[in-house]
Amino acid sequence: MDLHLHRADYVQVGVTSQKTMKLLPATRGSATQKVVIGDHEGVVLCFGMKKGEAVAVFKTLPGQKIARLELGGILNTPQEKIFVAAGSEIRGFTKRGKQFLSFETNLTESIKAMHISGSDLFLSASYIYSHYCDCKDQHYYLSGDKINDVICLPVERLPHLTPVLACQDRLLRVLQGSDVVFEIEVSGPPTVLALHNGNGGDSGEDVLFGTSDGKLGLVQITAPTPAHKWEIQNEKKRGGILCVDSFDIMGDGVKDLLVGRDDGMVEVYSFNNANEPALRFDQALSESVTSIQGGCVGKDGYDEIVVSTYSGWVTGLTTEPVHKEGGPGEELRLNQETQHKLSCLRSELEQLQLKVTQERERYQQSSQSSQAKSVVPSFSINDKFTLNKDDASYSLILEVQTAIDNVLVQSDVPIDLLDVDKNSAVVSFSSCDAESSDNFLLATYRCQANTTRLELKIRSIEGQYGTLQAYVTPRIQPRTCQVRQYLIKPLSLHQRSHCIDRDRPMNTLTLTGQFSFAEVHSWVVFCLPEVPEKPPAGECVTFYFQNTFLDTQLESTYRKGEGVFKSDNISTISILKDVLSKEATKKKINLNISYEINEMSVKHTLGLIHPKLEYQLLLAKKVQLIDALKELQVHEGNTDFLIPEYRCILEEAERLQEEYKRQPAHLERLYGMITDLFIDKFKFKGTNVKTKVPLLLEILDSYDQNTLIAFFDAA
Amino acid sequence: MLLPVFTLKLRHKISPRMVAIGRYDGTHPCLAAATQAGKVFIHNPHTRSQHFSASRVYQSPLESDVSLLNINQAVSCLTAGVLNPALGCDALLVGTQTNLLAYDVYNNSDFFYREVADGANAIVLGTLGDISSPLAIIGGNCALQGFDHEGKDLFWTVTGDNVHSLALCDFDGDGKKELLVGSEDFDIRVFKEDEIVAEMTETEVRINLFPFGGNHSRFIGFLLSILDNGTVGVYDKTARYWRIKSKNYAMSIHAFDLNSDGVCELITGWSNGKVDARSDRTGEVIFKDNFSSAIAGVVEGDYRMDGHVQLICCSVDGEIRGYLPGSAEMRGNLMDTSVEQELIRELSQKKQNLLLELRNYEENAKAEWSSPLNEADGQWGIIPANTKLHTALSVNLGSETRAAHTELCISTSNDTIIRAVMIFAEGIFLGESHVVHPSIHSLSSSICIPITPPKDVPVDLHLKTFVGYRSSTQFHVFELTRQLPRFSMYALTSPDSASQPLGYVNFTIAERAQRVFVWLNQNFLLPEDTDIQNAPFQVCFTSLRNGSQLYIKVKLSGEITVKTDDIELAGDIIQSVASFFAIEDLQVEADFPVYFEELRKVLVKVDEYHSVHQKLSADMADNSNLIRSLLVRAEDARLMRDMKTMKNRYMELYDLNKDLLNGYKIRCNNHTELLGNLKAVNQAIQRAGHLRVGKPKNQVITACRDAIRSNNINTLFRIMRVGTTSS
Repeated sequence: MDLHLHRADYVQVGVTSQKTMKLLPATRGSATQKVVIGDHEGVVLCFGMKKGEAVAVFKTLPGQKIARLELGGILNTPQEKIFVAAGSEIRGFTKRGKQFLSFETNLTESIKAMHISGSDLFLSASYIYSHYCDCKDQHYYLSGDKINDVICLPVERLPHLTPVLACQDRLLRVLQGSDVVFEIEVSGPPTVLALHNGNGGDSGEDVLFGTSDGKLGLVQITAPTPAHKWEIQNEKKRGGILCVDSFDIMGDGVKDLLVGRDDGMVEVYSFNNANEPALRFDQALSESVTSIQGGCVGKDGYDEIVVSTYSGWVTGLTTEPVHKEGGPGEELRLNQETQHKLSCLRSELEQLQLKVTQERERYQQSSQSSQAKSVVPSFSINDKFTLNKDDASYSLILEVQTAIDNVLVQSDVPIDLLDVDKNSAVVSFSSCDAESSDNFLLATYRCQANTTRLELKIRSIEGQYGTLQAYVTPRIQPRTCQVRQYLIKPLSLHQRSHCIDRDRPMNTLTLTGQFSFAEVHSWVVFCLPEVPEKPPAGECVTFYFQNTFLDTQLESTYRKGEGVFKSDNISTISILKDVLSKEATKKKINLNISYEINEMSVKHTLGLIHPKLEYQLLLAKKVQLIDALKELQVHEGNTDFLIPEYRCILEEAERLQEEYKRQPAHLERLYGMITDLFIDKFKFKGTNVKTKVPLLLEILDSYDQNTLIAFFDAA
Repeated sequence: MLLPVFTLKLRHKISPRMVAIGRYDGTHPCLAAATQAGKVFIHNPHTRSQHFSASRVYQSPLESDVSLLNINQAVSCLTAGVLNPALGCDALLVGTQTNLLAYDVYNNSDFFYREVADGANAIVLGTLGDISSPLAIIGGNCALQGFDHEGKDLFWTVTGDNVHSLALCDFDGDGKKELLVGSEDFDIRVFKEDEIVAEMTETEVRINLFPFGGNHSRFIGFLLSILDNGTVGVYDKTARYWRIKSKNYAMSIHAFDLNSDGVCELITGWSNGKVDARSDRTGEVIFKDNFSSAIAGVVEGDYRMDGHVQLICCSVDGEIRGYLPGSAEMRGNLMDTSVEQELIRELSQKKQNLLLELRNYEENAKAEWSSPLNEADGQWGIIPANTKLHTALSVNLGSETRAAHTELCISTSNDTIIRAVMIFAEGIFLGESHVVHPSIHSLSSSICIPITPPKDVPVDLHLKTFVGYRSSTQFHVFELTRQLPRFSMYALTSPDSASQPLGYVNFTIAERAQRVFVWLNQNFLLPEDTDIQNAPFQVCFTSLRNGSQLYIKVKLSGEITVKTDDIELAGDIIQSVASFFAIEDLQVEADFPVYFEELRKVLVKVDEYHSVHQKLSADMADNSNLIRSLLVRAEDARLMRDMKTMKNRYMELYDLNKDLLNGYKIRCNNHTELLGNLKAVNQAIQRAGHLRVGKPKNQVITACRDAIRSNNINTLFRIMRVGTTSS
C-alpha cells in the first residue's frame, strides 16, 4: 500500500528545541486533537485547528528558553498535563493553560532532557541525571559523558523503575536507583530514546534509539544481557535523528514508526511479519524536524503526522486528499477560506511593515548621536560538526531560524572543502596568503533565497590542527553576522570506541612528569575528539579510539603524573608526541617522554592499508576503462567479444562511477598516510628520510605490497 | 504537476549542446545528436522499416530505430533546419574543427562540404538581415561565416575572440533578423549583417545564447546562460533584465511556453540533471524535473506527430523525455505543491522576519538607555551607533615585494576593528568573491586591499565589512558598493620622454577641455588634487600591469592624441570617450608600428603555413597510393606463398604507417599554429575596427577583409592607419 501525505502548514512559533511539541489526547467533545508547543522565547502555545485556521487555546508569557515539553498525568488516565523544562525549572500546566506547578530544581545547569511517568520526574542536565518523585529528590547520577536523552521503562509493566540514559559516548546507560546496572553500546552517539510502540513493546523493555549519524535501532533492555533487535543503517546519508514516534498512519492496525531528522527528512517505517521495519514514506522539509507525533489535528477523520521544525513551523502531513471530490461549491468555499487567510496575513504584514519602517527611521536617527550604541541583533544558530565514519570527513551543518545570506568559512589549517549535493549555495574560494594572515582557507558560500540550512563537508589531515571559523550572515536587518568556531584536533580522524584488539603489535608512548590529572585530561581533550571536557571521576581513566580512515587503534590510559598511549600506527604516536610536548612546554611543565617502537607495527599498518589501496587502484583503473569500453560497445553492437572481466566492468559501470565519485582523492589520502608513516617510522629512529619520499611515491605509483614493505625495511 | 508524455532511453551517449530536431524527409521529425567517437546518431521512431544502407550511415547495433552517421572527427556543433527552401526537407549541419558538412539525411547525400580554416565552434541556421536565402552561419576563431545551400560564402565578418555561441533574433524589431554572438572575450555582440549595433559585456568565457522575443514575449531580447559559473538570465535588448546564479552549470537553454499562457519561459537544462522552467519576468521557477545525469540538450518538436509541439529534454546518457505544455486548467500550476500553501508560507516567513527586525530595534532601544559602552559589550557586538565606514580607492605603485596594484582602503571612524572584508565582484577575482581576513593579532580599524583587475572594465565592488571589537563573536555587517573605474590600473605619472610610446591615435572631438577632464576623472583614478581647466594639456599614465606608458594630449582645437603601444587599450579609450560624449561616428588616424610589424610577420607566417599545409596534404595523398600498392603486393606475395617478400612488404607498410602517423602529428601542429595565426589576423582586424566608432568602424572591417582576400598587405596596413582604402 502506498502512503500519500499532503503538507499543510498550521502556525509558526519561535525557534524550537528537540522534543518540544506534543498532541494532547482527544477529548470526548471533539475528534481533533490540540497541539501544544514550547519555543526558545519561553512561550507555550496550545492551539487547535478550526476550519483551517489555528485557534489558540492558551499562550503563556515569554520566559526562559524551553528545552523540553512532555505530557503527564496520573498513571492509566489520559496524559493531559503539560510539563515544560526551562532553565532549571519545571512548570506544569493544565490543558486549559492554568499553571499548577512551578518547581525550581536544585540543578546548577539548565535541564536538557526530561521524562515524566506518573509522579516520577526524570531530568538530566549535561552530565547530571536526577530522579524526583513528587518533586522530592530521589536519585542522582553523574555520567561520564554528555546525556542526550532520558527515558524510563513503563512503570506499570515492570517491577521497578528502570531509567535509561542516552549518552554521547555511544552508550545507553541503564540505571537502578543511583547506580548503573549495565551499559549497552550502540553504533553512534544516541540523540533520542523512545518506548517501542509507545509502551515498550511486548515485553515493556523495548527501547528505540536514534543516533546523530542517522542510525535507528531497537534494543531490548533485559538484564543482564540486553539484545539488539534490529538496526537501520543510514545508507542514504541522511541527517541525524531528532525525534521518533509510534503511530498507525498506514491504517493497518500495526503502529508504524515515524522519524524526524535534522536534515528535514520525515520518514515512516512500517513493520512486516518478522517485525522488521521497512521504509514506506519519506518527505523532505527544508529544516530540522525537532518533534514528530502522529494524531489528528487538521480535519476530523483524517490521521496525520504533525511535525515541528527548528524555525518553529508546525506542519501536518495529512492523509486528507488535497483535491476534494465534493461538488464545485465546496471547492469554492475552500478557496475562500484560504483567500480570507491570505488577506488577513497581508493586512497584518502591512501594519508590521509600517511599524518596522518607523523603527528603522528611528534607528537611522540614533546613529547620528555620539552617545548611542548599536546592538547587533542576536539570532540563534543550530550547528553540528561531526565526523562521518564512512568517508572519514567532517560535516558541518549550520541552520538559522531565518534565511541565510552568506557564510564565510575561514580556517588556519589546511583542509579541503568538499562539494555536497544537497547544498545549492554558490561557493567561491578566495586566494589567501597563509604566512601573513594565518589563513589556509577562505571561502564564501552565497546562498540561494530561502536557504535556512547549509551543509559543508570538510576533509582534515591528521597532525594539522587549528580552528575552523564560520561567519554566518542571515538575511535580517540590520545586517549582522555571528562567528562559530570549530576545533580541528590533531588526531581529528579518530573516533571513540569501547573495545580494542589486544593482539595487534603496539607502539607505546609514556609520559611522566609533574602534571595533575586535570592537566593530562585537558591535553587528551585537546588532541582527540569525542572526549568529555570534564575530567571523569576516578583516579585513572582509559579511553579507546579508532582511526576511521585506516582502522588503526589507540589506547590512552592516564592518571596524575603518568600517561600511556598505545597505538599500532606509528604516525598516531608521532603526532601525539609532538603535540603533547608542545602543550607541556606552553604550560612550562617538564615532561619525560619515552617511547617504545614495535617494528612489526609498520608492517601491520601497511597490511591494514593494503586492501584499501588495492581496491582503490583497481577501482580507478576500472573507471578509466569505462568510456573506452562503452565506445567499443557502440561500435561493435554487442559485448560478446570482450573478456568477462571487461564485460563485468560494463555491467557495473554506473555503480563503479558512483563509487568513484563518492570518494574523491581517496587514493591521494592513502598515499599521504603511507608517506607520513614512512617519515614517522624513521623519525623515531632519528633519521630524516624526506629525501627518499620521491622514491617512495615512485614505488606507490606501481604499487605492490611486498615491494613497499621491502622499501620500508630497507630504507 | 506536469509529467512527461514520453520517455525514451537510448543506449547512446549524447554530447552536450549537440542535439537538433529536423524533418529530414519533409514530414517526420527525427532527433539528431552527436555521440562518442565522432559519430552522429539519428533517432527515427516513425519509419521503422526503412533502413539506410550506405557507407556513411549504418544501422546502430544497439537500437533498432537509431542510425549512425560517421563523421570521423570530433563534432563541435550541430543543427538542423531548412537550408534550401525549394527542397521542402531539412538539412543536417555538422561542424567540426576543420569542416562544415551540410547533409541530406533522406537521400544520403551532401548538400555541400566545406573546409573552414577557422573551425566551427557554433552554428545557427536561418535568414540574416537582407540576405534572402537561409544561411548556415558558423562561428570559429574570431570569425563568422555564412553559407547558403550551395556552400557559397555569402557572409563574413570578424569578432573579438573565439565564438562560443550564436543566435538569430530580430533585435531591433524591424522584421529582419540580427546575429547575436557570444565570444570568449566575455562580450555579446549584435551584428546587423556585418555592422555591430550593440555590445554587452558578461563575466565569463563560455556564453550560451538563445533568441527570445517577438510574438512570444514581453521582450525582444535573448536568454543567456554562462557555462562556467552557472548563470542564467534574460536580456531585454541590451539591458540585463534578471539573472540568477547557481552552483551547477547550465548546459542548455531554450525558450518554450510550458504553461500555455502565451509567453515563453526560460527552460534550462543543468549539469546535475535538473531541468527547470523559469518565468521570463522574474526568474521564478514554475516547473522542474530531474534526470539521473547531466542534460545534453533541450529542443522542441512535434515528436509524436499529433499536432502538438513538445518540449524535449535529452540527458548525456541518452535519456529523452518529452513534455506537453500544461493545459489552461492548470493555471500555470505545474508544481506539486499548491500555490496558496506556498504563498502562505512565504508571507508567514516575511512576517517572522519583520517581527525579528522589530525585536532587534526594540533591543537596540533598550541598550541605549543602559550604561555607557564598555569593553564587555564588545563581545555581544555592541558598537557606537555613529560608527561609519570610509572607503577610498587609490593607485599603489608597489614595492619590491609587491607588484603595483589598485588599492581599496576601508577604515572605521572610531576604535572599532574590521574583522574581515568580503568583496563580491564579477570578473576580477578567481571566483566571484575575495575575502580579506587578517590574523587575530593584526586586527585594526583600517584595512587595505590590493586589487588587480585583469581587464579594463568598470566593475561594481559589493563590499561586506564585519565591524566589531577584538573579542566579538557577533559583528555588524556594513554593506556598500563602490565602482572601480574602467582604467583603474593606470597611474598618473610625470612624463618620461625616454620611453615614449611609438604608437598613437589622433582624433578630433568638439568638446571643451573641462569635459574631457571630467571623463578622465571618471575613468581613471586621479589623485584628489589634480585639476585641469584649460586646453592644451597633456597627461601621462603608467600601466600597473607592464609599466608601459600612456599619453593623452588635448589640443586647443579639440584634437586629442592618445599615445600608447597597446592597440587594444587605445581602442578601449576611444570607445569609452565615444560613449561618454555620445559620439556616433568617429574616424581616427592611427599608427602602431610595433604591432603592425608583428602583424606583418604573422601574415608571412600564415602564407608559410598554408604552403606547408598543401605540401603535407600532397605527401599524404602520395603515401596513401603507396599503401595501396604495398598492400596488394604483400597479399600477392602471400598468395604466392613467398613469405619472405610478404614479410618485407608488411614491414615497409608498417614503416610507412609510422611515417603517416608522424606526418599527421606535423599536420596537426601546423594546423594549430595556423589557427593561432589566423586568430591573430582576425583579432588585428577587429582591433583596427575598435579604434573607430560607427560607420568608419564597419568600413575598416570590410576594407580589411577585402585587402586580405586580395592578399594586398600594404593596403591592409594603410586601411588600419587611415581607415579607408583611398589615400
